Amino acid sequence: MHIPDGYLPTAVCAAGYAIAVPVTAFALYKIRKEGDPREKIPKASLLTAAFFVASWIHIPVPPTSVHLILSGLMGSILGYFAFPAILIGLFLQAVMFGHGGLSTLGVNAIVIGLPALVAYHIFRLRTLFGEANRTGTGIFGFLASLCAIGISTGLFVVLLINFIPADMDADDERNAILALALGHVPLMFIEGAFTAFVTMFLLRVRPQMLIGI
Amino acid sequence: MKFVLDQHAHLNSPIHRWDPRFKLIGFILLIFAFSFVSHLYLLPAMAAVTITIFAISRIPISFILARLRYPSFFLFIVVIMLPFISGSDVLFNIGILDVNKEGCEAALLISVRFFCILTLGLILFSTAPLIISIKAMRSLGLPSILADMTLLTFRYLFEIGNYLHQMETALRLRGFKARRFSRRGFNTLAWLGGSILVRTYERSEWIYKAMIIRGYGRDTKMAQVGFQAATRDILALGLLVLLATGFVVVQVLT
Repeated sequence: MHIPDGYLPTAVCAAGYAIAVPVTAFALYKIRKEGDPREKIPKASLLTAAFFVASWIHIPVPPTSVHLILSGLMGSILGYFAFPAILIGLFLQAVMFGHGGLSTLGVNAIVIGLPALVAYHIFRLRTLFGEANRTGTGIFGFLASLCAIGISTGLFVVLLINFIPADMDADDERNAILALALGHVPLMFIEGAFTAFVTMFLLRVRPQMLIGI
Repeated sequence: MKFVLDQHAHLNSPIHRWDPRFKLIGFILLIFAFSFVSHLYLLPAMAAVTITIFAISRIPISFILARLRYPSFFLFIVVIMLPFISGSDVLFNIGILDVNKEGCEAALLISVRFFCILTLGLILFSTAPLIISIKAMRSLGLPSILADMTLLTFRYLFEIGNYLHQMETALRLRGFKARRFSRRGFNTLAWLGGSILVRTYERSEWIYKAMIIRGYGRDTKMAQVGFQAATRDILALGLLVLLATGFVVVQVLT
């Protein structure tokens, strides 16, 4: 779900940065507001690397396999650190593997990072059932990731179809949007289930990881 | 410790010697100017500029080609599809499929822009150690939280990658096969992900204590020193600004 360099016009790339900068500033403001961030920085950084690595786990979906984005899980565990973490993850993927791009970094950060913040707020609703409630944690973990991937898919498809430099027939465009969106539906459920299992695992093994880093 | 991205940072070329702050500004401007181009006749000029900068950088072509392989797959899908689904001016037919002129032009534009921008990005970040590039960004206004997080993430990425490799090997040795989808297998993979997060979290607590002992947070101005621009750095930036402006002006006026 990373838009590579060269696909989008400059205006859209610039708009991506224009939105990503204030969102990053807002996330950093919220992080600083919670107290001295120095203690949290090593935790957030290493967990960013861990999420990066965990996204290399391939889930078998015959006849192929998929790798996960984990933005919903990142939002659930990292809170407001999720947006800078995703920004850094995307930057490293772009410069190390050529996955995504530097000109589209702002756009990709919005497509994946903003839904992670939505996921954070959805996951916080689990406290309605009590912080130690396993079912509530699983359900809201599932919903957080489902919504995060759903929103990302919507943004990704709209951007790709509307701004790719090609004249497409209206019917073809509609079909392409539908095909791309439908192709991501299984991923939404897989990510949701993965987040539910991981959050329930963490609740049993390291519950303090679920109440903020 | 030497990282994949830093393996050619020690070479000696004008681009390696260029002040990282000016290099960053110049390359980013050129990347945005390239993404602004939509006239096909500007593509050869874009490719020529990219090839020239690549030649000056002295980075082996194998390094660039190895990094182009994975993203090229996505490009391939788009380039294959566009001539058939985009446009109405038919160039020729392949069986029942029409190959359209507009689609071919769009595919060519996307491909050249993609390869040029990606190559520039790789040159930018592989002609200096990443720590230097991050310090340059820090001196240009990158918030300290982002700078620290980027460096720490990069520092521990491959170590945590080794955790995953070890744990996957342990799973395989115990007979786990991730070829078919099953609820139990899926649960195991989720626990694998969860275990990596727990191990990393515990490790980060020790790392923070070690960082505090070494004076973490006491000297925040450290990242802003160490760069000194010479006249040639400013001239090189001027050249790239001129090139970027040239592409934008020609694109707008023609």
